[in-house]
Amino acid sequence: MSAKNIKPQDMGKPSEQLCKIENLMPLPAPYDKPGMEPDFKEIKEDWKKNYCATLDGFVANDALKRPETKEEEEEMIKKFLNGMEKLFLEDTNRGMLQPFMLSFEYCAKCNTCSEACHVFKSSGEAEIYRPIFRSEVLRKLYKKHKQGGSLVSRFVGGDIDINIETIMRLGELAYRCNLCRRCAQTCPLGLDNGILAREIRKIFSMEMGIAPKPLHESGTIKQLTTGSSTGITKEAFLDMIEFMEEDIYEMTGKKYKVPVDKKGADILLIHNAGEYMAWPENPAAFTIIMEEAGLDWTLSSEMIGYDNVNYGIFYDDVQGRKIGAAQLKAAKELGVRRIVIAECGHAHKASMVSQDRIMTGEDNIPRESFLPLLEGLIKKKVFKLDPSRNNFPVTLHDPCNIVRMMGIVKPQREILKAIAPQFREMTPHGVNNYCCGGGSGFAIMNSFNFTDFRNKVSSRMKFKQILDAFQDTIEDAEIPKYVCAPCSNCKGAIRDILEFYQATAKFNVHYGGLVELVVNAMVDIEKPFLEFLRDEEDMMF
Amino acid sequence: MFLTLFTYFSILAFIGLSLLKAYEYARMPMHGRWELYPVPKEGDGRGHYGGSYYEEYEWWNKPRKVTHAGEIVDMLKEMLFIKNLFINQRRQWWVCYSLHLGIYVLFVWTFMLFVGAVTELSGTPVAATAGVWGSLVYYVTFLAGAAGAVLLTVGAGGMFLKRMSDSTLSRYTTPQEYFNLLFLFAVAVSGLVVWSGDPGFNYGREIMMALLTFSPIQADTALTIHIILLGAVMIYIPQTKMSHYVGKYFAFHKVLWENEPNLKNSYMEEIVRDALSYKPKTGTTWSAPHINPGSASKK
Ligand code: SF4
Ligand code: SF4
Repeated sequence: MSAKNIKPQDMGKPSEQLCKIENLMPLPAPYDKPGMEPDFKEIKEDWKKNYCATLDGFVANDALKRPETKEEEEEMIKKFLNGMEKLFLEDTNRGMLQPFMLSFEYCAKCNTCSEACHVFKSSGEAEIYRPIFRSEVLRKLYKKHKQGGSLVSRFVGGDIDINIETIMRLGELAYRCNLCRRCAQTCPLGLDNGILAREIRKIFSMEMGIAPKPLHESGTIKQLTTGSSTGITKEAFLDMIEFMEEDIYEMTGKKYKVPVDKKGADILLIHNAGEYMAWPENPAAFTIIMEEAGLDWTLSSEMIGYDNVNYGIFYDDVQGRKIGAAQLKAAKELGVRRIVIAECGHAHKASMVSQDRIMTGEDNIPRESFLPLLEGLIKKKVFKLDPSRNNFPVTLHDPCNIVRMMGIVKPQREILKAIAPQFREMTPHGVNNYCCGGGSGFAIMNSFNFTDFRNKVSSRMKFKQILDAFQDTIEDAEIPKYVCAPCSNCKGAIRDILEFYQATAKFNVHYGGLVELVVNAMVDIEKPFLEFLRDEEDMMF
Repeated sequence: MFLTLFTYFSILAFIGLSLLKAYEYARMPMHGRWELYPVPKEGDGRGHYGGSYYEEYEWWNKPRKVTHAGEIVDMLKEMLFIKNLFINQRRQWWVCYSLHLGIYVLFVWTFMLFVGAVTELSGTPVAATAGVWGSLVYYVTFLAGAAGAVLLTVGAGGMFLKRMSDSTLSRYTTPQEYFNLLFLFAVAVSGLVVWSGDPGFNYGREIMMALLTFSPIQADTALTIHIILLGAVMIYIPQTKMSHYVGKYFAFHKVLWENEPNLKNSYMEEIVRDALSYKPKTGTTWSAPHINPGSASKK
């Protein structure tokens, strides 16, 4: 079936693959030439057999296994329907009932939101990625479930097959949305297809125990048992901090003692623990900034206190709440005055917004973003900065969670204006930005061929924006270009697209956080802090 | 007398059922924050570019700057002009706006019929050639009625045709959604038929007078059909998603623009404290093993 002619009712119709992506959105130069973009990889037979590859040929949900017997199949359908009912109950969905019901009930199917969705547009407008497609499947399933196959049911739209294929495909389709909520900004009725995608994920996770392993098994479950979704334990964390101190010394000649578990400190700084492993220069840059500014700060080595990650907000309310509460507990035990969230977008939202209503009184320790703090330090001229050290094209990616969902728009721009003379915006930017394509967990979901979907579809719009922002210099490989992404997950997604399209190798496009750029501009630090500006013998991290 | 009673019933049903819908949404428990920027009430010019109080250093120690004017202006733009549709879907906006503007103008027309009825009951005639007041009421009623009827007919009919003919829209349109548009169209057309026999809307003022004096409405077949269709649609609308005039309020005010922080000793903290002390009423819980290990072991 053509990717454009599919209807929500087709979800239950047997076919080897409901949709095949055919007309990907073209990319700007130099990626407008043939051969510049790797093809999709073939899907393996045993993936098809054991998982759900019948939606679009990708498998995102590596915990969603095909039932082997008729009984298992029936059990799975039953559980799904039970879970779906629980979305509508006060006892089981108190925290989201009102926003969910509004979006469930009122959609006028005007399609205004489709134009806003980068997944839909990037895929060449494949119907299954239209924001209302999955919402409509859920509506139809609920109406059919409640009213059976009656005429009334069909009249109100309950015309879909409730079978294993519909449910498996929906379990996959819930992971073709980045929950970026750009579509909701355009809805004349204020409705949100992102929330419906998330609620579908909740049915699978909270009722059926099915969620992609990187989010659940090696995500929240691991974080709640070891302290971090990376698996870093307290001991490993303390070792890493020591290594980081040594690295900073070798690189800058400056000896800093990173404060850990300092009782009563003003600030508890919490990083995404993935930074220590993938981008240690980021916590190192934070260390330099906090120490040079003479702030009273600390890291925590307590359970979950050293990892601000909270994947629960992507798929499971209960996991989200447990992690949020554990982070606040770690801060309370240290007796700090406030928590500052480092460069991680979803952690910003999880900690400051999503978990804002789970604590009261003394347990509710104030949380803030590192951005206003850093902006204040730069405005007060606490550091001696030389912007000419960053004299190359720099563009800024706005993490959806920090910008569209929290309204932190200006501080990062004020900082960049002070330190990056060739800073230029992406189009569009600020609250109208496009997601990096790694949102809602995609950045860490690398099972099977899902990375192809991310790199070629969900991150495509971001890659286009990056190329557009650097059009003046993109083909000049002598000039380094820097995508500043102050968020771990966004950085992960951008790292992958730059690798996938070989944009670093061919066109000298780099990526990294914001604090690294600030430290790179510090006059007191002799050698360049950014790796791509360093000579080989200076390489450290 | 049946028509008089039916009209009263349909008006009360419309108001009552709409309020019931609003009540159902209003009594839903406090939800987790789910705001989306721009939030127009954010002060200091932040509402315009989508900024929030989180841009401030130690935001919890700063006074909260809120501009209700910003919120009202944005709300009015959306209510009166369907701004989001205009910006993002101009081609569809024309028919959709025609339908909505038609309804708004017909509210004005209904009000003018009321004014006309009161005027006539107080002994002043309402007609094209009556005194200043009488002719003013006559012409404003005429213009509002004419514009409303045409706009509603074009809007409802146009949206029906658009939904049928556009392959994307038709893929998502349920039989009920077609029916809703046809229902509105039928009301509009039956109104046009009645109006064509009495362009000055005298029949409308007579109905209004009958309602005000609680006396029988004199109606021929066409008018009877129109009154019954209109009454039926008023009873029907609040029970369907056409009641989005209620949903829209909650979607914007209680979800997308609701970003009140839970500060120590604040009103919000009280609400949160209350919500946290909630005891489930039914004992229903989620069943996944990581939430309810009991359910897994039972299995
Ligand atoms: S813009 Fe809103 S009402 Fe229109 S189709 Fe999208 S969610 Fe539905
Ligand atoms: S939330 Fe984002 S990814 Fe999901 S449907 Fe809306 S615009 Fe598309």
